[in-house]
Amino acid sequence: MSILASCPSCGAVLSFRPGTMVAVCTYCKALAARKDRDPELIGRVADLVETGSSLGLGASGTFAGRSFTLAGRVQLKHPLGGIWDEWYLALDDGRWGWLAEAQGRFYLTFTQDPHGALPAADSLQAGGLADLGPAGLWTVGEISEAAFHSAEGEIPWAVEPGATYRFADLSGRNGAFATLDYSEEPPLFFLGREIPLADLHIQGGTRKPAKVGVQNLNCPKCGGALALRAPDQTQRVGCPSCGSLLSTENGKLAFLKSLKQPHREVVIPLGTEGVLNGEKVICIGQLRRSCTVDGIAYPWTEYLLLDAQHGFKWLVESEGHWSLAVALPPGEVPQARDGQKNLSALGANWRRFQDVEAVVEGVWGEFYWTVELGERVQVAEFIAPPRSLTRERQGHKGGGEEVNWSLSTYLDPEAVWTAFKLKDAPPAPRGIASFQPNPHKVTLSKSALWVVGALGLLLALVMVESATHRNEELFKQRLDLYELAPGLRKEAAEAVRKGIPVRRPNAPGSPVAPAAETQEPVYFSGPIEIKNGRRNLAVTLSAPVNNSWIGLEGALVSETTGVAELFLLESSFYHGVDGGESWAEGGQASTVFLSAVPAGTYVLRLAPQWDGRFPPVGVIEVQLRQGVMRWLYPGLALLAILVVPLILVIQVAAFEGRRWQESMYGTAATASGGDD
Amino acid sequence: MRILYLLFLGGGFSLMVANGFFGREFFGQRRRADLPPSVRQTPGAYRTFLHNNGFHGGK
Repeated sequence: MSILASCPSCGAVLSFRPGTMVAVCTYCKALAARKDRDPELIGRVADLVETGSSLGLGASGTFAGRSFTLAGRVQLKHPLGGIWDEWYLALDDGRWGWLAEAQGRFYLTFTQDPHGALPAADSLQAGGLADLGPAGLWTVGEISEAAFHSAEGEIPWAVEPGATYRFADLSGRNGAFATLDYSEEPPLFFLGREIPLADLHIQGGTRKPAKVGVQNLNCPKCGGALALRAPDQTQRVGCPSCGSLLSTENGKLAFLKSLKQPHREVVIPLGTEGVLNGEKVICIGQLRRSCTVDGIAYPWTEYLLLDAQHGFKWLVESEGHWSLAVALPPGEVPQARDGQKNLSALGANWRRFQDVEAVVEGVWGEFYWTVELGERVQVAEFIAPPRSLTRERQGHKGGGEEVNWSLSTYLDPEAVWTAFKLKDAPPAPRGIASFQPNPHKVTLSKSALWVVGALGLLLALVMVESATHRNEELFKQRLDLYELAPGLRKEAAEAVRKGIPVRRPNAPGSPVAPAAETQEPVYFSGPIEIKNGRRNLAVTLSAPVNNSWIGLEGALVSETTGVAELFLLESSFYHGVDGGESWAEGGQASTVFLSAVPAGTYVLRLAPQWDGRFPPVGVIEVQLRQGVMRWLYPGLALLAILVVPLILVIQVAAFEGRRWQESMYGTAATASGGDD
Repeated sequence: MRILYLLFLGGGFSLMVANGFFGREFFGQRRRADLPPSVRQTPGAYRTFLHNNGFHGGK
């Protein structure tokens, strides 16, 4: 139930609901404080600034099943020049809600009784954490001072004309929002969340229709035409004609100063409309910023885009690389300490790339804050290509600071040209952008399916081969070399008599020796039946050679076709001690593989070879097998499967190496640091 | 790169299939030789022919 009273200045009717501390007279702008008897005049308020708010006094809505009325509004001025609205919701259960509106976003909070002591303002730092005890840890988005500008309706707290209020905005996960108001002792605690306006179902009220379209003005310095596309929110205008910096006050432009700016090199003209990622945007501002690293300046251009549905966005161009940046609530990103190299946020792991100081060098178009030439912010960039998280820390004049996080997504230059229907082709990007997606990684990912499929096929083939290759023995024979060449036996006996040491083998069973009349030892096997014409053959020579070698010239001859498969085998084994270290090379067995031969009857011709007069060993063993599993070929297939992915991995690594060469947190920087 | 990869895969699997399913060998010291018709037509003649003509495998 409201109490009606008279305005202490003009006598008009003033209404005081339960909880209303101050009321503003609609007629004379008097600010009247509620007292036990009559209201007390505490001052007058300035005219309200047109902020383009879609809300109006007296509007009604619902929240959490309770209906409310927009009973009052206070306009507060930010140290950087902006003005924001704070609406007061009088709920039907007697409670009050605070609805802050800034840059198209709404934050609904309610007063809370803190459970324990709240942190002092001096102990907070923008970007740091605020420990609110049972209310948890919060990220400090901003700690600053707001100045009272104007008001209307009923206000549930004791405002004073010209007063300033210290506050800290806190941000939590999933849109949680809180404010610590240090205008009282102990500080007030407001808790709530960012809320879509549609969730409040607001209807009616005395709102003015938002300005739509373009407000055409002229530069007060050069008279050049200026078209403001967001006149309600614009704080500064950089005249593209004369380079003057202008302020906007109550819909009028005022000259502030002439700027010494670099030549404007932009590709998206002011006022250009486009459709980016399916959303209609218009370019309203161009900002030239740069950072200096090791004495080298790295400039880039930022285009301020106005999206009627989602607020402001930034299109950033650097060395021909493009990205789209949107603001993030600080609470969505965990605190990043100085030098912290990794960050886990937004479901991804981010790696710190660089810390730089960004300086504004050029201003053209309109901006929603009081931008100045030379404005400096401390930038920390974390990357997870194709995205980057950027933290900008900015100090306020007269104390206070704020931290803003933005999420950038790398864009194909062609997408920008298409979105804004720009002429010609985009210039080729130079170098590698910090969060440019690794093109080789995409190719590598695409090849993964091929690799998996090929490995599966390889495994299946190996299994089939293992099952079908039985390693069937077709022939096995121990050969006495002295029996093969009978003349050797006699010569060896002579040599023994003369004192020449000769290794004499035991006399084995005498094999076939058709070449007995010659000195060359040759052995011919009996008929060997080969039934499978699709399996390879393996001939193995085993000989107990010791620091010596023995060779075997062989032929597998078809008795039906006369085709001969000729081969050469050598068993060679040497070892010793050199410089105190033992060594060995070769082996006492060796194998040669022959291609499959047509099924039929074959004969093996074997002719041992050695150095010197006498053989180094008396007996050798020869074995012929069919269907021998060869791991060489699956190995070659595996190499073929992996060679291109390996090349891609090398390319991926090379690309990442080039990327991180530009980083102060890269491997190169770490290595050089380690050298010190 | 895709064509290069297909060539590699084709080559690798061709070698494997040729070896595993057709018994072909592509490496090692060996060669194939045809004996003269006169030798082939005479049973057992290859023994003397090979011996007398110094048929040395692999060289």
